[in-house]
Order: sequence, then C-alpha cells, then structure tokens
Amino acid sequence: MINLIAVYKEAIADFSRNKVRTFLTSLGILIGVFAVVILMALGLGLKKYISDQFEALGKSTLFLVPGRVLSGGGFSASVSSLTGRFDNRDLENLKRIDNVIGVAPIALKSAKVMGTIKEDFADILFSSEAIVDIMGFEVDMGRFFNKNDVTKRAKVIVLGPRIASDLFGSSEEALGKKIRIENVRFTIIGITKSRGGGGMGGFDYDKYFYGPYTTGYIFNPDKKFFRLSVKVKSENYISQVREDIKQKLLKRYEEEDFSIVEPTELMTAITSIFSILNLVLVAIAAVSLVVGGIGIMNIMYVTVSDRIKEIGIRRALGAHQSDILYQFLAESILLSLTGGFLGLAFAYLGIFFLNRYFPAYIDGLTVVISLVVSSAIGITFGVFPARKAANLEPVEAMRYE
Amino acid sequence: MINLQKVSKVYKLDSEIVFFALKDINLTIKEGEFCSIMGPSGSGKSTLMHIIGLLDKPSSGKVFIEKKEISNLSDDEISNLRNEFVGFVFQQFNLIPKLTVLENVTLPTIYTRSALSFNPRERADEILTKFGLKEKTHSYPNRLSGGQQQRVAIARAMIMKPRLILADEPTGNLDSKTGHEIMTLLRKLNEDENLTVALVTHESDIASYAKRVIKIRDGEIL
Ligand SMILES: Nc1ncnc2c1ncn2[C@@H]1O[C@H](COP(=O)(O)OP(=O)(O)OP(=O)(O)O)[C@@H](O)[C@H]1O
Ligand SMILES: [Mg+2]
Repeated sequence: MINLIAVYKEAIADFSRNKVRTFLTSLGILIGVFAVVILMALGLGLKKYISDQFEALGKSTLFLVPGRVLSGGGFSASVSSLTGRFDNRDLENLKRIDNVIGVAPIALKSAKVMGTIKEDFADILFSSEAIVDIMGFEVDMGRFFNKNDVTKRAKVIVLGPRIASDLFGSSEEALGKKIRIENVRFTIIGITKSRGGGGMGGFDYDKYFYGPYTTGYIFNPDKKFFRLSVKVKSENYISQVREDIKQKLLKRYEEEDFSIVEPTELMTAITSIFSILNLVLVAIAAVSLVVGGIGIMNIMYVTVSDRIKEIGIRRALGAHQSDILYQFLAESILLSLTGGFLGLAFAYLGIFFLNRYFPAYIDGLTVVISLVVSSAIGITFGVFPARKAANLEPVEAMRYE
Repeated sequence: MINLQKVSKVYKLDSEIVFFALKDINLTIKEGEFCSIMGPSGSGKSTLMHIIGLLDKPSSGKVFIEKKEISNLSDDEISNLRNEFVGFVFQQFNLIPKLTVLENVTLPTIYTRSALSFNPRERADEILTKFGLKEKTHSYPNRLSGGQQQRVAIARAMIMKPRLILADEPTGNLDSKTGHEIMTLLRKLNEDENLTVALVTHESDIASYAKRVIKIRDGEIL
C-alpha cells in the first residue's frame, strides 16, 4: 500500500492552486447535498411534529368519527366527518362500556368575540371535563371547567394562552373577564398552559376556547357531536373496547357511518403519506447529486488529460497503476466531499433559519448518509477518469506534450 | 546484469506496413559498466533505452535482468523494478513543475513497496548538497537553470539507490560546458559508487566519457 497521506496532501495542494475550479466543480454536489439534506430535515421535522401532536393524545385513546376515515390503510377524510352525528345517547352508551374511564364529546363552534384590546374570531371546543385527561390539558391560571359546570350548564369558558393574550393583552388580564359569544355571556375561569405546535394548518390548542358541551347546546340545537373521544383504562384493553363500541354503535348506525380510530393508526397513515411525499422530493433532489457527479467526472477527465506527461513520469519513477488510480480517485473523492461538507454546512444554516417557522432538524444519520453518499459519488464518477489515467502506457504518456 | 536476446520492437503504421524500431538486438551490459549508445536520430536509441529500463516491452525477444526473464512479471513487479533497480534521466529533465526540488527528489520514495533503508529527507539533503543544490531545496524547477534541473533529475534517479542509471541524451538540452559537468557527475557516480550507467547520445565527445560505445543504426547494433 502506498502512502495515502502523501496522495491526499498532494490532492489538497492541487486544489489550493485551483480554488475557483475546485469550488465550481464541487458546486453541483454542494447544491445536491444541500437540497437533499434540507428536504430530509423538513421530512423529519414534519414527522416529529405529527407524532408530537399524537403523543399528547396518549396511547389509550380511541376516537369515534362519522364516516369512513381509514380505508384500506390509506387516509381518506370524507365530507361527513365535518358534520355532527353522535348524540348524548351514544355518549351515555359508551360510558357504560367496561374499561372505559371517560368519554369526551366534541362539538366545534366558530364565532366573533370581543376582547378588551381586539375583536377576533375564536374557535370554541365544547366538551366534557373528561377532555382534560384525554388531551392532557394543564391549567396555567384559574381552573378548567368540571363535572359540576357540565351538569349545571355553567356559562364558563377556558382560554388557550395565545388567544387570551391576543384578545386581552395577557393571561392575567383575561382571567375573570366576561366574554360574549353571540348573545351569551361567558366568564373566563381559566387559561391553559401553552402546548406549542400549530402553524401550517395544524391544530393549535393555544388558540382555542374550551367550554362545557351542555352549555354548547345553545349553539347546537341538534345536540350532535362531531367527535367522541374515548379514554380506555390502559392500552391493553384497546382492542376489546374497540369491539364493544363497534357492537354498540352498530345497533344504531350502519357500518360505513362511523369509524373508530386509534391515534397510532391515524398517525401511521398520515406519516406514511408524508414519508412517501418526502421520499419523492428527496429522490428528485438526488438527481442533482448525479448531475454534480457528472460534473466531477468531466473535470477529472480534463485533469487526467492535462497531466498525461506527469503520469508518465510518475510511472517511470515506479508508481504502480494502483498508485495513479488512487491519486485521481483521491482527488475526485475530495472534490465531492468538499461539496458534501459545504452543502451540509449551508443546509445546517438553512435549517437554523427555517426553525423559526417549522420544526425542521437533521439527525446524525442524515449527516453520515450525506457524507457517505458524497464519497460514493466521488468514487463512482471518479473511477472512470482514474482508470484511464492508471492504464496509460508509460512511454506513450511520457512522450505526450 | 542486463541481457537482451533477439529483442525487436515493431510499430504497426497501418494494417499492412510494419516498422522495425529495433531488430533482433542482442546486448549485454555488465555490472559497473559505463556505456554509451550512439546513433543517428530515429535509429532506435530511445526505444532501446525504454526496453532496458522496463518502461516499454519488446514485441519479441527476451529481456533478462539479473538473469530473470521479465516478460513473466506482472505490472506491479515491473513497477517495483523501475522504482528500485533503475534510475532514469531524460533529455527534457522531466521534473514535475508543481513540486519543489525536494518533493521531486523524494517522489520515488512514496511509491516504494519495500522498507526504505534510509530517511528520504536526509538522503535527499545529502545528495542535493553533494550536487551543489542545497540552496535550491525548496525552489520550484522553473526557477532553475537547465544544468541545475538536470542535476535535480539525477538526484531523483539516485534517491532509491538504484543499480542502474539510464540517461537518454542527458546533455541534449544543455550547453557544452554544462553538459560536460553533468557527464563528470555521472562518471563520478559510476566510479565512486560502482553504479552501472548507460547513456544515449549522438555527440561523440559525450560518448567518449564511456568506456564502451554501442553503435546503433536503423534499429540494429553495428
Ligand atoms: N509510438 C510509435 N509509433 C510509431 N513509430 C514510432 C513510435 N515510437 C517510435 N517510433 C519510431 O521508432 C523509431 C525509433 O525511435 P526512437 O525514439 O527510439 O529514436 P531515437 O534513436 O531515440 O531518435 P532521437 O535521437 O531523435 O531521439 C523512429 O523512427 C520513430 O519514428
Ligand atoms: Mg531519442
């Protein structure tokens, strides 16, 4: 084996003599790696965002939604999922099922509300006290509505911290204030802790109003719920409870009128869609890596032609074919690794700024993969010019001017 | 040390015509010899030199180095012989312009497959000092005169402690005074270190440094 350090040292010296050419040659790889890493980071971020959202729901929760949601592993939200279907009878029926520890009905309402500093649209989620446990709400100030409020149809409301400060300036200001939803005056009895999230059309819990579903009937004369969330005693009972719910509901509804959804199931479906989408984008970006590789191959052929005489001299001094091969391979690997490193660095910077708007991140695997792929491109596209160099006849090469 | 038996080199000019650059050459060069190869331009001197130095292969015939037939050797084994056994000196010096004098001189050492009996840097310093090039150690070749460049090339040929120096018109690009200096240097190496030297020239006063003159014309030894 020859002295690889000497080979790499020479390659680096060559590059510092031709900085502009080196940079331009590795630009293709730079852009390719940048694009691939950014897209992978966005994909990872999205996946994490989705799983965080579902994590909050816990593993022992089931959702009942109208219509068919998951069919054949895919995800297809039907129109009916937006309209109310379930009623109080379903709610009571479900509560009686073994191992169910809570059922939260959900009805949504949107209304213009007036704060002390601003008027705005608010989304109100009417539910029961069971929602606290199911959604994992924590209270920052005041209290959440309780069973008593539900029974008494109390005109109380709990605000997410963001909407509270939007309307009143701060959570402190909002607490205890009265707020009118259509013609009904509610008292703000609590502010939830911030859960983050939101943005990009996701569910932003910090911007919601939460009130007792019984009070919500004022706006919901049909007394229909658009969703029922069922808290099960533990993960182990999920399938049994699921079957029981199904049997109960089949007495009143057709099979295609409702779906029982496990959060993990839903999450898998959603993430798999995004993963495929992400993979397609990454694959498209990877094409630019191939283009970058061809750019390197092109320059390496030029380099070999420029140095035919030098190759002949080295062979005359005892360089083996493999020495010449390694010399040029080292150059192409260094070229594409330079591109890879720079691309990674720019991607890192890009992700740093993206993070203000989107939870993008890169993991160690992405770094390793992008560097391995860069070297692999250097080898793949460098090997042809390098072989050409190694196979030159010494005498012919030396005679070359 | 070197023995050529019925060596021919044929170039195909096109599918019909072949050209004999060398024709049935029989030649022996003994250990410690200082010989010159003379002949007019195009007579096949360089071709012969390349075959002796294992840079080129004959079209037919046999080449023995230390009684070993080289046609059965792999490319790697031949590379090793070029690295350790032979040192080349060329008319155009053939230094690598982007490398310094020191890097040029030590270049053969990075290609060696056997353990070196010396420290490359120290040996290079030693030779360069002996050749009067100490101050040029870190210069680039294009800053040197022709004579200095040729001495660097000889230093490079010497670094691996070869047994044989092959010089193809080493004085061809030099004025006659510098040419004689180079010849004196080669003769000194031959005498002091018992190095075998074979050189190509078409100047008879250069050839006269050698103890033996081999004349060649149209690919044949006269
Ligand atoms: N690759 C080649 N293809 C065809 N003919 C060649 C090739 N290489 C050498 N020749 C021919 O072989 C003959 C011998 O060439 P060579 O270089 O050995 O001559 P030389 O004696 O060294 O000449 P000079 O003194 O000019 O250097 C020449 O006629 C040359 O044209
Ligand atoms: Mg010649």
